[in-house]
Amino acid sequence: MPLDLTAPESTARLPRRGLERLDLLLLSAEALDLNGGEAMVWMSEQMGFTNLFPNRVELWKRRCTNPLRRTTRREGLEPAETDALIRIICALADRLYPLLRGLLSSAEPADVLSERWNLFRSRLADLVRQRMNLRRGGVQLLLDPESGERQSRLLIQALALGAGVGGFERLRASLLDAQP
Amino acid sequence: MPSHDFTPETAMKQVLQFDQLSCRLKVEGLPDVSVGQSGQNLGIITGWSLAWAGRPELEGRKEHLLALMQVVLPYARYLISGVPRRFGADPEPVEIGPRVEGGHALLLRSSQPDTPPLQLNLDDAELTDLVRVLDQLRLDSRLQLPLDLPEPVPLKGRELLERRPLAQRLAAPLAGLLAVAAASGLGLLLPEPKLEPEQQPAAAQPARGTSPAPPRP
Repeated sequence: MPLDLTAPESTARLPRRGLERLDLLLLSAEALDLNGGEAMVWMSEQMGFTNLFPNRVELWKRRCTNPLRRTTRREGLEPAETDALIRIICALADRLYPLLRGLLSSAEPADVLSERWNLFRSRLADLVRQRMNLRRGGVQLLLDPESGERQSRLLIQALALGAGVGGFERLRASLLDAQP
Repeated sequence: MPSHDFTPETAMKQVLQFDQLSCRLKVEGLPDVSVGQSGQNLGIITGWSLAWAGRPELEGRKEHLLALMQVVLPYARYLISGVPRRFGADPEPVEIGPRVEGGHALLLRSSQPDTPPLQLNLDDAELTDLVRVLDQLRLDSRLQLPLDLPEPVPLKGRELLERRPLAQRLAAPLAGLLAVAAASGLGLLLPEPKLEPEQQPAAAQPARGTSPAPPRP
């Protein structure tokens, strides 16, 4: 995916909610693609982010800035690291766009659509249980059958609208939203 | 000799085409040679069309395309934060907003006096397709034309709060007010304690073995 070179570099640090959403979007990409973790590392290398994330451990450490993680790191992300992770999400979402579109389309038969959503939600829930602190309210909301449904739809919608060349600035702005 | 319509305009005419599964955007125009643009660039938009699968094709001038971008892209910006907000109120030529039944309503108002507005109901997938073709156009290096589009900016806390229904937002403060009112009402119902005058001297009697209290003035 070509980079949107017109997008200015950010100087703002992500708020707590932004850090949570950034990692959850990466987790959603992993739930959609069984090799999503590997794809993330490969994408990082392809996009020239080896200076920021030289190996998968460094990439994992940056993702652990999510306060909802079981093992969370207190330090935040540098703006350059944030931008790189958002670009990786946009590239992954672009690659996964046919799947995202399939989940969002109302033209698909209802039973097929329901099965796709169930599969995605169950994979996301498995990943959340593995990696997140289950005592946190945000995690419990994700695993709750009712609110989790809405949360997972918002994540898929955010990935679809953030996919592609133009998604970067939009997604970055949304991750920098004020705390409600 | 056969005639053909080979004119300088047709020779310079450029067509930018962007495809997604449900829509195709075609933008036609010419390079603006007055500012030194080369043959592959597009500095003047002469027309555009947006073809939808199973829907009428949209066509218009540059102003209409800009109006479409000026409402659809900010709408997508808000939607990515989970805030569906209406953009482009009357008399703007294009309006977009969420539908109660789900999905999105794109309303196109014609500049012709007796033409009713055209409403297209889009699902989430069709909306993202539309956003992608508009993004591709916006960022295409061949389009050498300043587009007056708002920059995506972070939303304020107030704008994020508005996505919660009013009843849900008011529930906590109303419950608090009711609790305070109920507690006050119950407090008023309690009888006031009465001080019995005959008990006062008994209570004031000094304990055995202690020195008597000094007489009061």
